[in-house]
Amino acid sequence: MVVRIRLSRFGNRHQPFYNIVVAQARSARDSKPLEVIGTFNPIPQRPTNLSEKEARTAKAYKEISLDRSRAKYWIGVGAQPSDGAWKLLNLVRCLPLDNKHVR
Amino acid sequence: MAPRIQNSVVSNTLLPYLSTSSTSSSSTCLPRLATTCPSSQESWRSCRSFSSTPAPQTTRRRREMFTWLNTDAAKLRTHTPGSTNYLIRTNPKLKDSPVVENRIFPANPAYRSESILSEELRTEIYNRVVINKKSVRAVSVELKVDMRRVAAVVRLVELEKRMEKQGKPLAVPYARAIHEMIPVTPPEQAHEEINDLPVHRLTNPQIFYPVSESRQFNRVDAGRVFSAAPALEHEQLAKDVANPSEAISRVTQNPSRIELVGKGDEEHQVLQAADVRIPHPHMVTSTRDINEVPNEIRQHPKLYKARLRTQDAADQERKRLAQERKEKQTQRVRPEDSRFEFRINDVVVSQETTGKDGRNARAPGRRYGVPSYDRKKGQVKIPTRVEV
Repeated sequence: MVVRIRLSRFGNRHQPFYNIVVAQARSARDSKPLEVIGTFNPIPQRPTNLSEKEARTAKAYKEISLDRSRAKYWIGVGAQPSDGAWKLLNLVRCLPLDNKHVR
Repeated sequence: MAPRIQNSVVSNTLLPYLSTSSTSSSSTCLPRLATTCPSSQESWRSCRSFSSTPAPQTTRRRREMFTWLNTDAAKLRTHTPGSTNYLIRTNPKLKDSPVVENRIFPANPAYRSESILSEELRTEIYNRVVINKKSVRAVSVELKVDMRRVAAVVRLVELEKRMEKQGKPLAVPYARAIHEMIPVTPPEQAHEEINDLPVHRLTNPQIFYPVSESRQFNRVDAGRVFSAAPALEHEQLAKDVANPSEAISRVTQNPSRIELVGKGDEEHQVLQAADVRIPHPHMVTSTRDINEVPNEIRQHPKLYKARLRTQDAADQERKRLAQERKEKQTQRVRPEDSRFEFRINDVVVSQETTGKDGRNARAPGRRYGVPSYDRKKGQVKIPTRVEV
């Protein structure tokens, strides 16, 4: 069986929140995973405490928290990121540079 | 328990409905019913034919309320600017002269309304903080307004200015009317006590603590007893007693270095002496400085200012370091093709954070197998702070 790095949905209706988890590929989305390595909040947050000038150019932000060393470890032992998790790990630069064999 | 159908009116209205549907001799029933009832009740009855709620009645109390509104309370309809318009004005013992009366209810003399900041004082606070660039702490001491209130005034005036710039209407007549009816602090008067000591949770229990007569037992020791910390070393104690100002500023300028006691979730900071926990500890120390040179009056403001400056500088430095630390922990990524910025925080997944069974509250991510009580009755979801 394949181990995957994927997102598991928490939060209420219209308030998604994801745990970035390492789990067996065939287990249910929200079942208890092997390990929780981070979180992702897809709801854009408005930056606060800005001057008016800064507020004009500021972009809304999305929060990711991740244990990079655990992510690298799990990829190293063959865990396959799902599409969503792939994008996040790519942002965090946790994927190996020559990543064709992983995909 | 009250009967479901409470008066004859309701049962009467049901009758024609039942009779029309069930029997053929309805035409004889309806006109007879109409004649028995007064016409005014008829229209009312038709709109609430299925209601089991009793009809509103003019009770004695209701009548009395309206007589009171028209006699005693008639003077509350208009207010005299500069005097309060509270219920206590209806008290016959009170003369009609317009005085600022901060009692509200005639039967409850202990209930008093606090005064609010006047328009001039509000502007003065804003000017000193924003235009003269004084610290919130300094302005708070000068005008005798709580530091939190000073900060709130600055934020709100800023908000008001922004609304004016955006062309949004302000409720000025409302504000004016409220200011006329409520006690107001003029600019030259002290608004409130600024150095109140908050009651700490740890000081609630009464502790019987025997101390030998030969030993000095002061507020620092009492704090340590309350927080179940071991007593200070004799040398340290002697140093602190010899130089109390230094002992206070050591804590107020580095609050993160306060000693911790307890284990796990019970871990807490050692309760500090009152001199440290009050909002303006620098006032105590600068008074002590001044008492050392009681005759050199010209020196006093200088000493005070120097003390204030060091405290402000320490506050700023601490704020800057905290901000820097936070910045260092988060990495910001701005992809070219994205409308959003991504802020990446580092977390640690280890046995220390997740615990042996993986269920520790310090573990990253939402937790498994823990019910969320956010839909449960009595959960307060009103935000306690707003960041703009």
